[in-house]
Amino acid sequence: MARITLERVGHRYGHAPYALEPFDMVLEDGRSYALLGPSGCGKTTMLNIISGVVRPSEGRILLDDRDVTVVPISGRNVAQVFQFPVIYQSKSVYENLAFPLRCRRWPIARIKARVAEIADLLDLSGRLGKPAWQLTVDEKQLISLGRGLVRDDVAALLMDEPLTVIDPQMKFQLRRKLKAVSQKARHTVIYVTHDQNEAMTFADEILVMSAGKVVQRGTPQELFERPRTTYVGYFIGSPSMNVFDAEIGAGGVMIGGTPIAPGGALPSGLPTSGLRVGIRPEYASLAQPEDSDTLAATVVGVQDHGSVRIVEVAIGTARARLKLGRDIAPPSAQARIRLRRDKLCLFVDDHLIAAGI
Amino acid sequence: MMPKLYGLLKYSVILLWSAFVVAPFLWALTTSFKTANGVTGGPTYIPWLQYEPSLTGWRSLFGGAGGIDIVKPYLNSIVVTGSASAISLVLGTLAAYGLSRFDYRVGPAKNADVLFFFISQRIMPPIVLAIPFFLMLQFLGLLDSLLGLILVYIALLLPIAVWVMIDFFNNIPRQIDEMAMLDGCTPFGAFFRVILPNSLPGIIVAGLFCIIFGWNDFFFAFTLTFTDAQLLPVAVVALNSSVTPWWSLSASALISVAPLVLIAFLVERFLSRGNLAGAIR
Amino acid sequence: MPLHLENLSLARNGVRYLDRVDATFRRGRLTTVIGRTLAGKTTLLRTLAGLQAPDSGDLKLDGVSIASVPVWKRDVAMVYQQFINYPHLSVLENVAFPLLRRGLKAPEAQLRAEATLAKVGLSGFAARRPSQLSGGQQQRVALARALAREAPILLLDEPLVNLDYKLREQLREEFRGLFAEETKAIVVYTTTEPAEAMMLGDEIVVMHEGRILQVGTPVDVFERPASTAVAEIVNDPPMNILPGAVVDGRIALGSYRLALPAHLSRLAAADYRFGLRATDLHVDPASEIAGSLVFAEISGSETFLHVETAFGPLALQIEGIHDIALGTQVPIGFSTERLFAFAADGALVVAP
Repeated sequence: MARITLERVGHRYGHAPYALEPFDMVLEDGRSYALLGPSGCGKTTMLNIISGVVRPSEGRILLDDRDVTVVPISGRNVAQVFQFPVIYQSKSVYENLAFPLRCRRWPIARIKARVAEIADLLDLSGRLGKPAWQLTVDEKQLISLGRGLVRDDVAALLMDEPLTVIDPQMKFQLRRKLKAVSQKARHTVIYVTHDQNEAMTFADEILVMSAGKVVQRGTPQELFERPRTTYVGYFIGSPSMNVFDAEIGAGGVMIGGTPIAPGGALPSGLPTSGLRVGIRPEYASLAQPEDSDTLAATVVGVQDHGSVRIVEVAIGTARARLKLGRDIAPPSAQARIRLRRDKLCLFVDDHLIAAGI
Repeated sequence: MMPKLYGLLKYSVILLWSAFVVAPFLWALTTSFKTANGVTGGPTYIPWLQYEPSLTGWRSLFGGAGGIDIVKPYLNSIVVTGSASAISLVLGTLAAYGLSRFDYRVGPAKNADVLFFFISQRIMPPIVLAIPFFLMLQFLGLLDSLLGLILVYIALLLPIAVWVMIDFFNNIPRQIDEMAMLDGCTPFGAFFRVILPNSLPGIIVAGLFCIIFGWNDFFFAFTLTFTDAQLLPVAVVALNSSVTPWWSLSASALISVAPLVLIAFLVERFLSRGNLAGAIR
Repeated sequence: MPLHLENLSLARNGVRYLDRVDATFRRGRLTTVIGRTLAGKTTLLRTLAGLQAPDSGDLKLDGVSIASVPVWKRDVAMVYQQFINYPHLSVLENVAFPLLRRGLKAPEAQLRAEATLAKVGLSGFAARRPSQLSGGQQQRVALARALAREAPILLLDEPLVNLDYKLREQLREEFRGLFAEETKAIVVYTTTEPAEAMMLGDEIVVMHEGRILQVGTPVDVFERPASTAVAEIVNDPPMNILPGAVVDGRIALGSYRLALPAHLSRLAAADYRFGLRATDLHVDPASEIAGSLVFAEISGSETFLHVETAFGPLALQIEGIHDIALGTQVPIGFSTERLFAFAADGALVVAP
């Protein structure tokens, strides 16, 4: 296990624009990270640079203090789990799990103990003798995972969308197993995914990527409460964060002439244009009669999601969504909306300036 | 400096391999224009300077002294290989599609057994097949006839077509056929309008295999024909006499391989157009 | 008369995919079929389409049996889970293909295909091959091909399941608009996701192990699930089902005794299974009921806490993203007003 340091690492294929723009980053030993973003955002390129499959066109990579920039994957001491199961079909489950250890000439007794431990972790103990080809695709992927975990001396465990082939119903269980296993193993884990559920459930820290850049690095809670850009506000959370054009006036921050947080502490030197306010649908609610500083809204539609209702409203020319519990009666045509001021996010040119006013 | 060294190595290997492939052709080409003197005079490659070029070898293929007339066997070979390949391809594609998409039961035999039945015909050594083929053709009065040869070749080429095509069809999702039927195609319509256009690369590969195997067969052509329906590989053998006529053999080798080279070039152009890539994921 | 299924059954290799299924699908309505994997949803759609023949039972469209009408004459459009398009045809040709097969003239087919592509937001992509598109775009092509036909029956088999999260959210909303225009067609949409079934469906059919467990409006099914099985299927996370009893006019849950709320006041003393939605549970420091956190799952904007308590595992859904260490003792509060009571055999007795 090791700390992974990327120094001014960037990559482009030939003379194309950067697939990954030069950046610095330190991934701490023993923590789990998710690289999250839509396809084409550079997350797989980043993983391949760390694993050694791709040599970056710029910068250095260090495992602890060892420079591995030109070291190929075989010399880096990392384990990787791919999207699709990569296993030896003709061998038994046991042999599959033991293989990486045999290659390193571990003593038999130690291999046995370690394989038993991993099998137990993944609930594969009863199937160790089975030939791998008899297993379902879920179980095969579990073995791939086990093979990634079985060596306790790896610098890092890298996973590239490992749940792609898993049946949606099984994903929950496997996600749970993954989380438990990675917590127990204390490996440095890097997990690539486009699914925010997977990323947020699994990782200590998430690196949200877009167009070859890491736009934010933070815990799931930070991404939710303090998105660094409006893009993160959109990408994280369901439904996405509501964002309104705002202006500064006599009453502080105002939306369409209505002050929403009078007297709030505003950062100094705010520009007069490009100001926007974001609020999560969870933090916007129907106003009570005694509330002040509420916004007039027209209800456009109500979606019944079961446990919650999503109410779409028009506030001036802007559209917004509220998430209301089932016990709250959805409003009729007109409503007044209250935004929780401690949860307001202030953006200038789509970059977060302040969270909570 | 590492990448440079690697590039140098790469091109050396490619160059070496190209030389390895091209050299026999070069040798055959020069030899075909030599006479006995030229051949025994050691390795010489440049006409007029190193040896006196002669058309003796080429003449011997077209009724020249001590030679043969290659035109008729050549045409025979084209007719037999061409029609047997075409028929095998059509039948084989249909059979493979059926085996890939529908469940059959022939007594206790299921799809896998039917498939094995096809390939089993290529497992036996040719000599085992030759006698029954001979007797059958004799019974049908088709010995030493092009039709007889075509039938025998179909039996030999069909398994190849089936095996190549079934693998291809198995890789096309069934939902594509279903979708075509939902869109209003009959099962045959789905096959012709949707599955066939998507199997073009497979059909080309299967066709190529059929043509190569058919064109190069010597054994059956030799055992089942005498004079009338002689094919190219058999006719060429007649060139051999007490003194090996290298010049004639070289010329015949070049002329024999010509159609295959031509087809290889055509196919290569088709494949490199990217028709294979991305057609089926 | 609409599309009517009578007593459909289908089994293969000893597995019952459809088990005496009776259902009615009406024109101009969208029916969502919800169930877990292998509930028989896909088999149901394939039987409707004619891709699979039932072992027994009948299908009637406007009172006429269509069970023996082959697929290609049935005029049913379908969208698959996998993104199925014709790889050798351009996007435009893909959408025009079924129109041409049904006898439309080429110029007319092209016009209609173009219009439908515009509707699904793919106008600029008409000349591309499907393989040059992203997953979401490929599924839009498949959808356009199904919509362009204006078929009387439109089937969608978990069309969003293979797309990533944000896209799923976005397309789901677009679907609402697109299907609102389908005023003449019978639309059947399968899904495993309760929210999707609720927001899209005019009517919900709940399936489990080949059988239809309940049919009703979304609100009906959600608020009055006929059985514990339905309650688990139409809630995500599944409704918590707690074995308990009514003893001496009180609710017994494990060693806890709770007062009977008004809506349960008439329950006879017996064993029951009490249901509680994850959203009706909350973290309540004052509560004496507590359990150890075994797993925390984050779904978009909610945190699901999976807690092991003295009377079994409980799932809580709390709004927002919360970071709670595994193993923490979570005090759990809920209102007995929110309790569902099911009989020992699973049938609903009282809903809140």
